[in-house]
Amino acid sequence: MKFRAVGEAFVIIALACLPAIGEGFYFRDKVSWQSPIPESELVTVDQARAWGSGAIWVDARPDDEFAADHVPGAFSLNEDRWNELLQQFLPNWSPDKKVVVYCSAQSCNAARDVAKRLRDEAQLKDVFVLKGGWEEWLKKHR
Amino acid sequence: MKFVWRILGLSMGGIFIYAGVVKVLDPVQFGLDIDNYKILPWFVSVRLAFYLPWLEILCGLSLILGFLYRGGLSILMALVLVFIGATIAAKARGLDITCGCFGHASQHWSFAQHMAIDLGIFFALVALLWIELVRGAHHDQKD
Repeated sequence: MKFRAVGEAFVIIALACLPAIGEGFYFRDKVSWQSPIPESELVTVDQARAWGSGAIWVDARPDDEFAADHVPGAFSLNEDRWNELLQQFLPNWSPDKKVVVYCSAQSCNAARDVAKRLRDEAQLKDVFVLKGGWEEWLKKHR
Repeated sequence: MKFVWRILGLSMGGIFIYAGVVKVLDPVQFGLDIDNYKILPWFVSVRLAFYLPWLEILCGLSLILGFLYRGGLSILMALVLVFIGATIAAKARGLDITCGCFGHASQHWSFAQHMAIDLGIFFALVALLWIELVRGAHHDQKD
């Protein structure tokens, strides 16, 4: 009786493995298991620069960081003012352009989230996240 | 009074089944939500994103069906406690997180709203476990 809760908990913990494994198997090709951003959605500073005017830069950092400094020609598009900034950004986009989104560093999530929303909500194609973010861009340019 | 406890158990079960199903439908998004806490490496977050929703669903079912009831309650209490701790830790580190607990519905909750709802759920689970243990003790005495 004393250990009934523990025993029952172990049964549930074990049972939950079965559907989880099944779902993982079903999604095996749709999930990036090693990195939150699949390699195919990442771009290096050098690659993005090589695109030249074919690339459109999007700064996903907060307004104050964008105001302090940003990639020349980049558009500010953060989630704090998503609707407003998206309206300013979209007229500058065209289907032949590749969108390069960046945030502060490799560890930040803002670029990944903004890139996802651009794909899902704005239905844009060729949206990439800059590897290493703003920090990496600075290293290459300062 | 027994009726009230039953309703509370059914409600808690329903909440966790709903929360689990929402996450089962989009495990990648839930993986990203876990990753936002910056506590676990991605390869752990993404695996948890496939496992935790099913754990929530089974625990929710246990509350509704009354089968493996104490185990379900214990796991849910532990999960909610871990979640409260992770949310406080994220807040302390200045992370602006989306918990993803209830899909889109919870995306714009403030920290205070998160805490109020989590603590409410936690104390409801504690109450359910407490009443279950009291009932168990009565049964033992009768036997």
